[in-house]
Amino acid sequence: MPDLLEDVQLDVDHAEQTVLGSPWVTIVWNDPVNLMSYVSYVFRSYFGFSQKEADRRMMQVHAEGRAVVATGPREEMERHVEAMHDFGLWATLQKADE
Amino acid sequence: MRAFRRKGSGYEASFAPEEARLIVQLTEQIGAMLAEPGAGDAAVLRLLPDAYPDDAEAAAEFRRFTAEGLADRKVLNGQTVAATLADAAVATSATKVRLDEQQAQAWIRAVSDIRLTIATRLGIERDDDRPNPDEPLGDIYDWLAFVQESLVVAMQGRL
Repeated sequence: MPDLLEDVQLDVDHAEQTVLGSPWVTIVWNDPVNLMSYVSYVFRSYFGFSQKEADRRMMQVHAEGRAVVATGPREEMERHVEAMHDFGLWATLQKADE
Repeated sequence: MRAFRRKGSGYEASFAPEEARLIVQLTEQIGAMLAEPGAGDAAVLRLLPDAYPDDAEAAAEFRRFTAEGLADRKVLNGQTVAATLADAAVATSATKVRLDEQQAQAWIRAVSDIRLTIATRLGIERDDDRPNPDEPLGDIYDWLAFVQESLVVAMQGRL
């Protein structure tokens, strides 16, 4: 028979970790090589952004030199960074508050 | 070359034999570079950049777990591109090249890798850097931008 108290305790621990653990961000940096249309296509097709949102973040990369394209757990951000490197985009991850 | 456009469920362009051979050669050169990368090679570093800009230890760890897979997939993308150009490369006149969606996905990644590698060789580091007009690689760099743009625009219509 499952120990209900212990199960509840585990869930609380998980919730605390999710709430208190500082999130990470995936950042895409400007480069002089990749085409604006390509960067926007990657943002739309990979992250599922609308055309408008993909264009906005692409322009942010272009004008400001970088844009945050995803926020979440470190492991998930590492997967995004690897996927961006597959596309030839210059991407990094770091803690959200850095 | 006639630019890529949508055709049926895929994409179609036309390449002259020398154009097809050029792209095949470039994919082979990048494949060789990734198979035996010289330490500190700027082009390899651009294709496989540090994931953690301010944390050398985490960057090395990430590289240890991902670099081989990334390099393998980049080589495979190049081989896919070369395979789709095989007929055009040995033809005597311009030949149609047809891509399905999966091949097109390999193409946009491989062409990006080729242009990034050429840009490193040409010292293109900022948005307003332009290839030296006397540099033949510069013409190839610009031409591949045209190839890439036409394919990306065709693919956008499918999103």
